[in-house]
Amino acid sequence: MAAVQTSGERALNKVAIVAVLLVTIIFLAPIYWIVATSFKPRNLATTIPPTVMFEPTISPFVKLFTKRSQLRSPPSAEEYAAAPWWERVVFDGGEKIVRDGKGQVQWSGYPSRFLNSLIIAITSTVLAVGMGTFTAYGFSRFKVKGEADLLFFILSTRMLPAVVVAIPMFLMYRAVGLNDTHLGLIILYTAFNLSFSVWLMKGFMDEIPKEYEEAALVDGYTRMEAFFKIVLPEAATGIAATAVFCFITAWNEYAFALIMTNRRAQTAPPFIPSQVGSGLPDWTVIASGTFLFLLPVAIFTFLLRNHLLRGMSFGAIRK
Amino acid sequence: MATTMITPLNTSSRAASRGLSDISIRNLFIIPTIVFLIVFNIFPLIYSLGYSFTDFRASTNAPANFVGLKNYRELLSDPYIWNNFAVTAKYVIVSVVGQVVVGFGTAMLLNRTIPLKGLITTLLLLPMMLSMAVVGLFWKLLYDPSWGVINYVLDLGKFQWLGDPKMALYAVAFTDIWMWSPFVMLLSLAGLSAVPKHLYEAAAIDRAGPFYTFFRITLPLVAPILMIAVIFRTMEAFKTFDLAYVLSTQPSTEVISIRLYKMAFQEWQTGRSCALAYIVLIMVLAITNIYVKYLNKVKER
Amino acid sequence: MRKLVTSVLAGIGLTLACGTSVYAQEKSLTIFWAEWDPANYLQELGNEYEKQTGVKITVETTPWADFQTKAFTEFNAKGSAYDLVVGDSQWLGAASEGGHYVDLTDFVKENKVLDKMAPATVKFYSEYPGNSGKYWSIPAEGDAVGWAYRKDWFEDPKEMEAFKAKYGYDLAVPKTFKEMTDIAEFFNRPDQNRYGIAIYTQNQYDGLAMGFENALFSYGGELGDFGTYKVDGIINSDKAVAAAENYRKLFGFTPPGWTNAFFVENNQAITEGLAAMSMNYFAFFPSLINEASNPNAKNTGFFANPAGPGGEQFAALGGQGISVVSYSNNKEEAMKFLKWFIQDDTQKKWAALGGYTCNKAVLESAEFQNATPYNKAFYDTMFKVKDFWAVPEYAELLQQLNQRVYPYIVNGDGTAKEMLDALAKDWDATFKKYGRGQ
Repeated sequence: MAAVQTSGERALNKVAIVAVLLVTIIFLAPIYWIVATSFKPRNLATTIPPTVMFEPTISPFVKLFTKRSQLRSPPSAEEYAAAPWWERVVFDGGEKIVRDGKGQVQWSGYPSRFLNSLIIAITSTVLAVGMGTFTAYGFSRFKVKGEADLLFFILSTRMLPAVVVAIPMFLMYRAVGLNDTHLGLIILYTAFNLSFSVWLMKGFMDEIPKEYEEAALVDGYTRMEAFFKIVLPEAATGIAATAVFCFITAWNEYAFALIMTNRRAQTAPPFIPSQVGSGLPDWTVIASGTFLFLLPVAIFTFLLRNHLLRGMSFGAIRK
Repeated sequence: MATTMITPLNTSSRAASRGLSDISIRNLFIIPTIVFLIVFNIFPLIYSLGYSFTDFRASTNAPANFVGLKNYRELLSDPYIWNNFAVTAKYVIVSVVGQVVVGFGTAMLLNRTIPLKGLITTLLLLPMMLSMAVVGLFWKLLYDPSWGVINYVLDLGKFQWLGDPKMALYAVAFTDIWMWSPFVMLLSLAGLSAVPKHLYEAAAIDRAGPFYTFFRITLPLVAPILMIAVIFRTMEAFKTFDLAYVLSTQPSTEVISIRLYKMAFQEWQTGRSCALAYIVLIMVLAITNIYVKYLNKVKER
Repeated sequence: MRKLVTSVLAGIGLTLACGTSVYAQEKSLTIFWAEWDPANYLQELGNEYEKQTGVKITVETTPWADFQTKAFTEFNAKGSAYDLVVGDSQWLGAASEGGHYVDLTDFVKENKVLDKMAPATVKFYSEYPGNSGKYWSIPAEGDAVGWAYRKDWFEDPKEMEAFKAKYGYDLAVPKTFKEMTDIAEFFNRPDQNRYGIAIYTQNQYDGLAMGFENALFSYGGELGDFGTYKVDGIINSDKAVAAAENYRKLFGFTPPGWTNAFFVENNQAITEGLAAMSMNYFAFFPSLINEASNPNAKNTGFFANPAGPGGEQFAALGGQGISVVSYSNNKEEAMKFLKWFIQDDTQKKWAALGGYTCNKAVLESAEFQNATPYNKAFYDTMFKVKDFWAVPEYAELLQQLNQRVYPYIVNGDGTAKEMLDALAKDWDATFKKYGRGQ
């Protein structure tokens, strides 16, 4: 920052800080509302004036993880008294937990969807970022015939609306039996993240001075060794930033997941809205599902935040 | 695009004889990606190009009949389809302009010494970490005239965000702006921090006004990276499906992806939807091509 | 970096290992249905089956808006994820001609399904083409559209007096669409945050279509001739135009922003005390009679879809039959389940759990008709139901209806006559395209 600040500038800075705070509050308010709703009993989710102070309950999470069924009349007093606390909170909402033929509590589809999301998003991110890094290095360091056209081609694959790609992919997957499989979604997500990853990584690779590798080559490293030992560590920041973007996209993808999966490989994004309620909307369950689903991606981004922020201003640091 | 060329390895050197040649490394690094993208992006498109000239329906076992350009002709003369395109164009403009204004504005505010700047910037990214379908659901709740929070907080009474056909598109775009301005902000911040400080100092010495500084120094230097943000957001906005699909059922918010989804996966008019997909594809390619040309021009300046 | 990569890979391996174990069940059947209470009741019934046979039943659900798409993407992918599907009556054409459903004609005859189930339900939920004697499903969940209303508002002496003064007759459960419209207008008081009526308007699936059909059928209108596929002069007849105009009028008395409303919104209109009357499928009423989910439960009453000006009284058919998916790997097990499902004892249990049985004996029993405040209205309605087209291209017809009817009903674009004329033309073209009719 400028070394000397006039009093005018200092005042301006204060105004800016207040404005930043305001913007932050506005942007975070809906997210606060989702988190708050995930700890409310159902009847407080839609009150006007909105309920801000309330006694938090974890009943939405109990409901999120269990299969429930609407009761037409409240349970008998004995039944209620005999039930554990987590079953009572479901009774309080007019529902009961469904038990299977062996008397075991039945899980909802949420845990398996969450697991599918983890498998598919992590694998496709690793693949997209890995392949993207190699390809970006190739484009950055070697002469490639028709490079501009190839790069445009790579970018153009990202422009296709999911539904456009989904139609032929659906037919192709049907022919080879990839519908509703983890592999099917992993391939799709890798394909559309790959173009993004090549583009971003090429920017980072261009910024890494080629002199570093040249020095290594002179020292007797092969090109491969130079790439793995010199270039990759230098590109770590770029790789982390790219990984964050690819993970966010794959984690939240909806259209492909809606069309190409049903039960076995379905991820959480098309599943969460399906919990909207069978007779009455239950916003608290959707909120708790959303909140839990936000956690992994938020933690991942938070852990890599320094890379992300630095990665984004990569050019600035080098110049 | 400036390509950094590296001195090729001396082919007779020790290192070169040990490892792979530059050419094979280049091919090893680039070709798998290109092949992968061709197999999973281009091949399916060629596959569907064939179907776009037929009356194929994936829901029946009946064979596909060749119908020539009939699908294209009928689609291009359908006023509903043109309405879908008009809606999409309007949506793209409103939401991208909104994101650039809000995102760039926020970045300008953040581009100074601020306590907890890193934390604030990360927190601001939270909206774009959510799933669009879920965001759509929640904003439907927030917008609701009877039990939504927005009308209560802004004291708008029974204002109909999604019920009014004219307002609905803006309501969907607002949600998109909320969600994706942080992305523009992040890229803008990168661009802003790359502006050399001595330019500002020079401008201050010349007693240049804030407007002059902004338009003559800040904007031109940030333009290339801002352009990249605009390209990506335009493409994403053009592709919008989940947000509009979940938020609103008004015809005035039926973007082209929704029409395509209905035609392909509800009505199962596979042949015709392939044709529509091609029309969309050509438009997207044209728009991006213009953008990329412009981006290169901006970069050269 | 390397550490990160190895730990990520280890994580993937672990999750993959866990992921596969989830599906490693010995004997099990998966049934696909939409997300609503009956699906949960079916799960409970399935658990009884597991107790008796050891075969695990899993009911998978998806929201109504995606139900048709999800089912048909799975069918068209020839997927084996689902063994049985509880599918809408309109699907029969597409699912039978596409070869997605197993032909149950022999099963129906061998097990005397025709004698056990109410005839109307077999006709609508199982038979395709009409009167062909070919059956593709077993009636599972009977359903139709009915109405919930606020008894306390209707029975308030002050309101009754004011109503009589204004309209010249007593405020009571409406017997005609005219009365219903008057009552909706009477209770529509935006300044008190009270509105007249909640109707279906959602155009993503068949919500709006079912709502509009309620008016259309009671007005004596028809969608078209199901035998000759003639639609011009029928869907745009004077009766149909009057029905559309009345539905549009009712929309004027709905709560603000009622432009994307289906069953959850309409139930919410009652629980939040927003509307005097609310249209819904009977299957969605259980949550309205439990005080834990509806604070107005004690004051909620139910009635059947009222008659039109000509005295005709019909309602839009809901409900589904259960079919065996051709691509299932467990077809034999699925047949065994169906055999168990149609037994009288099972049907009784099904009704007790909250499912709407189609079993004649159970339906006619006093026990069933008095089980809930709305079962009687349900029983009455099930004898006067009509349905949407069931041809394979029904989804196109539905989309065309949504495209034409929605802007008129919700946004007031154009006139009812123009809108229905255009719809007749659309449908005509579609039928021609598929070589139906002349």
